Amino acid sequence: MEKVYNIIVGGKAGEGVKKAAQVIAHIAMAAGKYVFQNDDYQSLIKGGHNFSLVSISDNPIYNSYFKVDIIISFDDRSIRTHRDKLLPGGLHFVNQDDAASKDEHMISLPLSSLMKKLYSNPANVSLAATGIFAALTGISQAELEAIVRKEYRNNTEENLRFAIAIYDLCITQKHEFALKLNYAKGAIGTFHSGNQLIALGALAQGLTHYFSYPMTPASSILHYLALKKESHKVYAVHAESELAAANMAIGAAFAGARTAVGSSGGGFALMQEAFSFAGMAEAPLLCFLSSRPGPATGVSTYTAQEDLFFALNQGHGIFPRIVASPDSFERAYSLSAELMELAWEYQSPAILLTEKHLSECSANIDLTSIALPKPFEQPSESEAVYKRYAITESGISPLKFPGKGNCSPDDVIKWCSHEHLETGVRTDEPDAMIAMKDKRLCKGQSLIEGTKKYQRVAFYGTEGPLVFAYGSTALELRELMKYYPLRLVVPIYLEPFPYDELAWYRGQEAIVVEHAAQPHFAEFLRQKLGIISRGNILRYDGRSWDTFELLNVIEELQDA
Amino acid sequence: MRNFNTGKENTWCPGCGNFGILATVKKAINSLTDGGIPLEDIVITCGIGCHGKIFDYLNISGIYGLHGRALATAEGIKLANPRLKVISFGGDGDSMGEGLEHTLFAAKRNIDLTLILHNNGNYGLTTGQASPLSKIGFKGLSTPQGNIERPFHPVNLLMEAGASFVARGYSAKMEHLQQLIIKGVQHKGFSFIEVLQPCVSYNNTYELYNAHCQILDTIPPDEETARALAKDEEHIYLGIFKQEERKEYCDLLMA
Repeated sequence: MEKVYNIIVGGKAGEGVKKAAQVIAHIAMAAGKYVFQNDDYQSLIKGGHNFSLVSISDNPIYNSYFKVDIIISFDDRSIRTHRDKLLPGGLHFVNQDDAASKDEHMISLPLSSLMKKLYSNPANVSLAATGIFAALTGISQAELEAIVRKEYRNNTEENLRFAIAIYDLCITQKHEFALKLNYAKGAIGTFHSGNQLIALGALAQGLTHYFSYPMTPASSILHYLALKKESHKVYAVHAESELAAANMAIGAAFAGARTAVGSSGGGFALMQEAFSFAGMAEAPLLCFLSSRPGPATGVSTYTAQEDLFFALNQGHGIFPRIVASPDSFERAYSLSAELMELAWEYQSPAILLTEKHLSECSANIDLTSIALPKPFEQPSESEAVYKRYAITESGISPLKFPGKGNCSPDDVIKWCSHEHLETGVRTDEPDAMIAMKDKRLCKGQSLIEGTKKYQRVAFYGTEGPLVFAYGSTALELRELMKYYPLRLVVPIYLEPFPYDELAWYRGQEAIVVEHAAQPHFAEFLRQKLGIISRGNILRYDGRSWDTFELLNVIEELQDA
Repeated sequence: MRNFNTGKENTWCPGCGNFGILATVKKAINSLTDGGIPLEDIVITCGIGCHGKIFDYLNISGIYGLHGRALATAEGIKLANPRLKVISFGGDGDSMGEGLEHTLFAAKRNIDLTLILHNNGNYGLTTGQASPLSKIGFKGLSTPQGNIERPFHPVNLLMEAGASFVARGYSAKMEHLQQLIIKGVQHKGFSFIEVLQPCVSYNNTYELYNAHCQILDTIPPDEETARALAKDEEHIYLGIFKQEERKEYCDLLMA
């Protein structure tokens, strides 16, 4: 088995902890390694304690390990928080200027005092991590200089002096570290967070307008797309509220723009009415719902899967919708693209349900190897007079956009939040109500067929206990499958439910793993497939699993 | 001249101020299309309430949106296709209550839309509750002892929020209102037109408006004067209170 090297970088918020970890990941990637980064941070801007876990291996890594080979502590709190996580033979580097709890096994470096000496305005000591890691892994000084220049744009000369000073100190101290990197080897794929991949998947399928109001852990989609304005011709609009965002997205779709909205549970609670509106108006509304622990404001910066039933039941009234959850980084990209296509083909709201864990963890992904959906065929228009809600065999009415090429001057295109006639004019007549409700349900049937174009369930492993999970919990399980065999079944599409692919599992016993205080996913599987849970593994402290910790829990359940 | 009829039965109360607004909007749109704006480039949105029924009486493309959200919907349309002329209709419950945030933010952004506010001083379609624009003392179903909240002054509120075209018309002064709507749509930036609209069932203000409405000769020279004129209770001034050139949101975003 290939060794996975693990590193913790810890310090105060605002010190650049995440950045330091990212640079380590970038260096390992450039040397042809696979990496996985997991950031643990709090809802504060300066102070507190943040840490990042970086894993490095010759094989793809799906989840973190909390027992590590290297710890780099920028302050005393980090020493106290992480000292127990060091593996035998591991190295713990501490900032001797803030290390009251240090012991003789730790390696002291004068980070703060050296910084004071070398900088006219001392900045963040976290840059030291780059020097330490470069020295340990055999990166040359010239390569280190290139890395610092590329990664840290301000104060370059001071940064170089500081990083090289730390590097020289570590070289002189002659630490033993087995991982040696060939920096020039060339990266596998590109380094992306789950949220970036969600954004890129939508962009690949024509996203031009993204409407959002910041809410962790979905905010980084907004930030990422805002940076892509020039390169991708996409407009990221920070609306006055989630209500505004969702209604703007429906308006933009009416005018022919491929749009999306994104938030966490609280923001989606505010978008409920607009979601229902999208169901009624038959608006292609793509939604990114990245969960954190609730209810209400909950815990902003940690992970949870408490929003399964919320996503499935989003919006009042009965109407077709799609809910699907990516089980990997690659799927975050492809599923976002698929849902964009399905939302438009079936003129329905679609939710990509994910969690902080996938949204904000990062890994190297080869985007070029991922197949994207083909554009669907627009239904042709048969009637002489355009009717927005024309009743058709498939339940899908032709779409036209005002002022666009496919529209003639006489076309009147009316979208309506009321129940309506085929023309889009409001009605409350019983026969007309039934006709339009049946049309939408008929479209829902077509939608079920439409989802079958795509992989709706992922199966991993061929022996061992049967385990069900969804979303990023599948990543946690896949990493432990390197050490313990499982038959892991992961429904990607949750609504419409992929009955065909899962028929064989009806009534079977399985272990169900989820990040929720109550076994909602297990209950969902019982309702849909009659799955009998022989053990619910629930985690609801907001944290992701350490790979071996989860392995132990499954082993205990298996042996019981 | 197009009549824009949809064949939908009109269900406003006989004598409702909305009839005057509907007829005026039709004339204004005819005049705008005669002036060279292609009809297919004109799009409407509305919220929910008596005002919203105008959507069904105008055979023009658009979105019959959610209560309070017509302007957010309109902004989405405009952002997706800035060539479109978007006219948004709102009630006083709609644009000044449930959806006030969108009204203020559209003005703040100076996005090139026109909001026509049907101000009938109460919630008509829900059978007469006090609205954010109801006078103190207004007796409605939710305020049987009389409204205790001070109303907003929409003209002043929108000037402060950043609307670059702010005007007030009266549903019974149709020719004047028609000119306001034409100018509002032609104005590049956010145009706000408050339309005083008597509600014959719950807030019949015909006599008040007929006695006190007076048309402004010119646009006031500064906002301070405009604010004083807009708040004058002796005379209810109609006309353009503010018209200025300010950079428009879509232009800035897409620059």
